[in-house]
Amino acid sequence: MTGLTGLSDVDFRAEVRGWLAANLTGEFAGLVGRGGPGREHEMVEQRLAWERRLGEGGWIGLGWPVEDGGRGLSWPRQVVFAEEYARAGGPGRIGHMGEQLLGPTLLMFGSREQKARFLPGILAGTQLWCQGYSEPDAGSDLAAVKTRAELRDGEWHLYGQKVWTSLAQFADWCFVLARTDPAAERHRGLSYLLVPMRQPGVEVRPIVALTGTSEFNEVFLDGARAAADDVVGAPGDGWRVALGTLAVERGISTFGQQLGFQREFEDVLAEARSTGAIGDPDIAARIADAWIGLQVLRFTAEATLGTPAGSTPGVEANIAKLLWAPWHQRLGELAVDVAGADATQVGPGYDLTDAQRLFLYTRADTIYGGSNEIQRNVIAERHLGLPRA
Amino acid sequence: MTTVDHADSPEQAALRAAVREFATRHAAAEPAGTWRRLTGELGLTALAIPESHDGMGGTLAEVAVAVEELGRVLLPVPYLSTALAAAVLAEAVTGAAAGGAVAGGAVAGGAVAGGAAAGGAAGWLRGVAGGGLAAAFAFTGGLTATGGRLSGVATHVLDGAEADLFLARAGGALYAVRAGDAAVTPVGTLDQTRSQATVAFTAAPAALIGPADRAEELLRVLLAVESVGAAEHCLDATVGYLKTRVQFGRPIGAFQALRHRCADLAVEVASARATARAAVAAAAAPDRLAVLAPLAKRHCADVFWHVAADMIQLHGGIGVTWEHEAHRYLKRAKTTQLLHGTPAQLRRLVAERAGLQ
Repeated sequence: MTGLTGLSDVDFRAEVRGWLAANLTGEFAGLVGRGGPGREHEMVEQRLAWERRLGEGGWIGLGWPVEDGGRGLSWPRQVVFAEEYARAGGPGRIGHMGEQLLGPTLLMFGSREQKARFLPGILAGTQLWCQGYSEPDAGSDLAAVKTRAELRDGEWHLYGQKVWTSLAQFADWCFVLARTDPAAERHRGLSYLLVPMRQPGVEVRPIVALTGTSEFNEVFLDGARAAADDVVGAPGDGWRVALGTLAVERGISTFGQQLGFQREFEDVLAEARSTGAIGDPDIAARIADAWIGLQVLRFTAEATLGTPAGSTPGVEANIAKLLWAPWHQRLGELAVDVAGADATQVGPGYDLTDAQRLFLYTRADTIYGGSNEIQRNVIAERHLGLPRA
Repeated sequence: MTTVDHADSPEQAALRAAVREFATRHAAAEPAGTWRRLTGELGLTALAIPESHDGMGGTLAEVAVAVEELGRVLLPVPYLSTALAAAVLAEAVTGAAAGGAVAGGAVAGGAVAGGAAAGGAAGWLRGVAGGGLAAAFAFTGGLTATGGRLSGVATHVLDGAEADLFLARAGGALYAVRAGDAAVTPVGTLDQTRSQATVAFTAAPAALIGPADRAEELLRVLLAVESVGAAEHCLDATVGYLKTRVQFGRPIGAFQALRHRCADLAVEVASARATARAAVAAAAAPDRLAVLAPLAKRHCADVFWHVAADMIQLHGGIGVTWEHEAHRYLKRAKTTQLLHGTPAQLRRLVAERAGLQ
């Protein structure tokens, strides 16, 4: 990927690498490779402190405009950071909901006052966010959101239930899609509200995932309050704002993600070598296919980078998701097949090996962030122009 | 719907548009006339030849643009082989092959001196640059070269029936032989839009050109590129059909089972396009080319195969008729998959070269 960024970024790459080497050490040394999908429960206190350290170093909001407190860095430089962060084994981010979803949404739709109130905390790594979109009856069909918000006495009062809310247990705030006009149908009548998490009327219950660990939560809203001004865009305009958030949910982190994939692949390869499984022609073929698939993922992501700077993310994000999610899932299957019979046994307290964890949590890859089926709908409609049913 | 290729320079975009227009207009024309216009008026075989040798001063990237666009309509002309021969001959003449020594290295101690090779290559280069000569590569058959003469029988020579010139592998080296000095037997082909021949050499006079491996890798790269163009056409045609074919009172493209298949094909085609592009870029980086050429050929030919097979399925009955174009793509796809390394062979090659054992 060195070809992407060109010579002028050698200095920047060295700066990133130097900072990570100097900071991902001492009290943070144990964080290398921790957190992230399948490991969100790990070393939470240290990872929260790490968010603040990143903020102090100016490594949050790299692509945000300078006047909004960001560094206004180009795409390629953000890619360099993502690559180097992954290369150094930087821990899974707890602050990425704020940095990658809410922040860009406020930059796009927020008022000056909202930006001034919320962006500094995100940039400092001190204010953590979670996303309140999905509900038990509004998964792929997000416009079916039932959570309602009523404006009374100068405050929004929220009633309903959100689900699959990642990191809600650590979050200070939640951006919530709620119905503010009960008379309006479907996506009309929804508003995008900013709701404090630490208040009566908000209850967080962890969901235990198939790994035995807790990755996401249910969030119950029973009279939770939000200030009247804490609505992004106009009341009733929440669908457009929420789609804007979904549209930024992509991109640069892909490159860091791919280095993570590379490391996972190398672990599987090393295991296959050490157990001799690679001598099995079927396993050898699957390893070769996994490696080829990883190169294809990378080339496809690089091709996306060639789209004009500043253009809104298009169908490339859907295409990328449909490529990497099944690839990652197959890698998880390969990992346990390489381990063979030993993969059928676990340690005390359902303690899993890396291969077992990879195998299990990758089942979610093809579901979250828009299931494969939803991605296909989007591609068929927006990219291929096929008629709707 | 066709992907806009943001990697095109303005010149490449103009070239792409011109070749697409030409290919569309000549898709059903008489091949000999098409070839004359393509080499004469358009000068497409001279794209990768330096201006100092009467060429257009481009690189393999420009050839790739033309190959992809001609692949879209399976234009029945020996362009891929000839344009690649021009590029390989140009590298031999200018010594510009990546990795340096063109007539050194693999063929050091060979029967023909480097100077003589450059002389022979220059003559052939003029012929393919603007002379309308067609070339073909003979990589199979275990040919032998002794004292500047080539012997043996090469099979599965793509574009071989029309070739005026063969670039043939003997040992690690590539030799140029006049078609008139070989016995060329055209063979019947599954894919009737591209010829094959069996070519017998009996002590045929041969000029040493350079190392053979690089030429075969570049051939794989261009087959990958061509597969992308053809696959994209298959997808476009299929999506177009699904928008207009009405059953159960609606366009069948409204049915999710079919929409989802098309979406998956679009994902595959996008990944193939990106992979082929990376392989073309690797032409200038020998260490990457050794891995990326077989990788790209395998991936892109597999994608082409999937799209062509689904094109028939999604067209229903009309798709299995001789009259419809779908079978031509299916046959080209399978042919591309099976020549110059089958999918299984190329997977092993990639694994070996990437150190995955």
